[in-house]
Amino acid sequence: MSRVRGVARPAALRLLPWALVLALAMAMLALGADYALGKATLVATYAIAGLGVVIVVGQAGQIGLGQAALVALGAYAQALLVGAGVPPLAALPLGALAGALGGALASLPARRLGGLYFGMSTLAFALIVEEALVRAEPWTQGAAGMAVGAFAVLGWRAASTLEQAAVSLAVLALALVACHRLLRSRHGRAWRAVRDDEVAAAACGVAPAAVKMQAFIVGGALSGLAGALYAHWIGFISPEQFGLVFSFELLMLAFIGGARRLAGAAWGALVIVVIPQLIAVLRDQLPGDWARAAGLELVLFGAVIVAVVLLRPAGLAGGSARSDAAHGDGA
Amino acid sequence: MLSLLQVLLSGIATGCIYGLVALSFVLIYKATETVSFMQGDLLMLGAFAALGLHLQAGLPLAAAALLAVIAVGALGAGLERAVLHRALGQPHLVAVLLTFGLGMMMRGGVASVPAAAQEVHALPFAADTLAIGPLVLAASHLWVILATVLLAALLAAFFRHTRTGLALRACSEDARVAALMGVPVARMHTLAWALGAALAAVAGLLLAPVTFVHLNMGFIALKAFPAAVLGGLTSLPGALVAGVLLGVAEALAGLALPEGVKDVVPYALLMAALLLFPQGLGVRRGGRGGV
Repeated sequence: MSRVRGVARPAALRLLPWALVLALAMAMLALGADYALGKATLVATYAIAGLGVVIVVGQAGQIGLGQAALVALGAYAQALLVGAGVPPLAALPLGALAGALGGALASLPARRLGGLYFGMSTLAFALIVEEALVRAEPWTQGAAGMAVGAFAVLGWRAASTLEQAAVSLAVLALALVACHRLLRSRHGRAWRAVRDDEVAAAACGVAPAAVKMQAFIVGGALSGLAGALYAHWIGFISPEQFGLVFSFELLMLAFIGGARRLAGAAWGALVIVVIPQLIAVLRDQLPGDWARAAGLELVLFGAVIVAVVLLRPAGLAGGSARSDAAHGDGA
Repeated sequence: MLSLLQVLLSGIATGCIYGLVALSFVLIYKATETVSFMQGDLLMLGAFAALGLHLQAGLPLAAAALLAVIAVGALGAGLERAVLHRALGQPHLVAVLLTFGLGMMMRGGVASVPAAAQEVHALPFAADTLAIGPLVLAASHLWVILATVLLAALLAAFFRHTRTGLALRACSEDARVAALMGVPVARMHTLAWALGAALAAVAGLLLAPVTFVHLNMGFIALKAFPAAVLGGLTSLPGALVAGVLLGVAEALAGLALPEGVKDVVPYALLMAALLLFPQGLGVRRGGRGGV
């Protein structure tokens, strides 16, 4: 992108995310705290899943087109375990483990191929997982979906929106801290080395196949964790919720926020959750036929992603090229 | 035996559509190194455009179909000029997201038309069957196969025997060298997008009698990706052949294997092929493989 532009405009653009926060706060006042807390819960949960994409796509530089399948594995593991009487808090790590195992499996083709071929294999993996969840009817009740109980710890139930928001924000904070440390470690450096130049990384003693698998395991664990929480908040999961559209939503989330930065996941989640609400508000203002136009949301979503990719390729949280160099990537 | 023949024929017909969409994807990918995730939406748009022109504007079906294909081709060229050329030389994900976003806008645009969004539409040439002795074949399937063979021949002639076709091939082979030889590379990129979009629209028209016209008909493109990858991503005949192969495999799986397996056969085959033959099935080593 043109460097002149990057220097001339960051002040205005840096305000954009905060404008969004302000808009959200105003919406909170207008629509009631309960509603806003519900949305905050969703934002935090999406952000955790988005962190997985940031690790796989933004840090390790792999084309992951099937992240939703890893979220699904976490959600279903949690639902099945809780259904079998495991305390939700104890099931959470197992949900994350399910996502991590799925990630390891999805990354297997990366041993032999990279780039677009590998991207297509993650797509195929996600579609296979979705179909498998539909067909595993004895356990998952197939396409009909299954209900999930409330999140509870030692007799305390996260029943209100305030409690749910608190739990998901706490988990998000923990995940952010863990990722921050990981990115600063040799693992994070290895991911970025493979992203920037696989051959050079290999020449420096970094094994690309193992590094990609690590990234998928970590990314899968985060997405699985998000899925486990999501199952509790929504209370009902079915395979179609975790289809290709959700995978792309997560990818867009990461790109809108800034795939190279951890903060990008949070900003992207905010945008992804807020846009439908904005449209709902807008729709009430529009006259006649437009109010009923079902496609408006799709058009606007599409326009946002195209605009972000064209105008702000580093995402909302991504700084100018200069600040990237100063801070190193990530964090 | 008879039912096997019928299943095979319907598999080949479906496979032809996978193949055509894969072909359009590979055409664009080869010429511009851009990944298009909106081929399914272009396909849907083509079918709806023809339907609208036929039913609303009252054009005869053939004229409506031709006009729809040209219009979608022009849209592809316009989008390349306006937006997609920005993805040149960028990481694949940029193009993936751009085209997915544009595809969403197309789907949203069609969904905003109340008459289009609500129901499933049939094109008037749908229902005929053809009886050869005891064998009953769906005319639409035969149409699809015939049209695909014709299109493939046309494309082959275009790439072999015309200057523009040669220029496009040169551009796909090595854009820098082609530019040095006087090929207008930017114009070739636009042409590739126009051709790719028009091909997708043709696939939409051919699919219309088989599955009818509806908003989600573009999801068939998801089966075209495995076909494109199996064909090696850079071979046009490879994409077509892989598409037909997947269609037949899917149809046979529907016949012989438990329900649900059919839908994942293309992806399972893709995974197997990627793990076992990472070079792709259609790529000849030494990287010559003409267009």
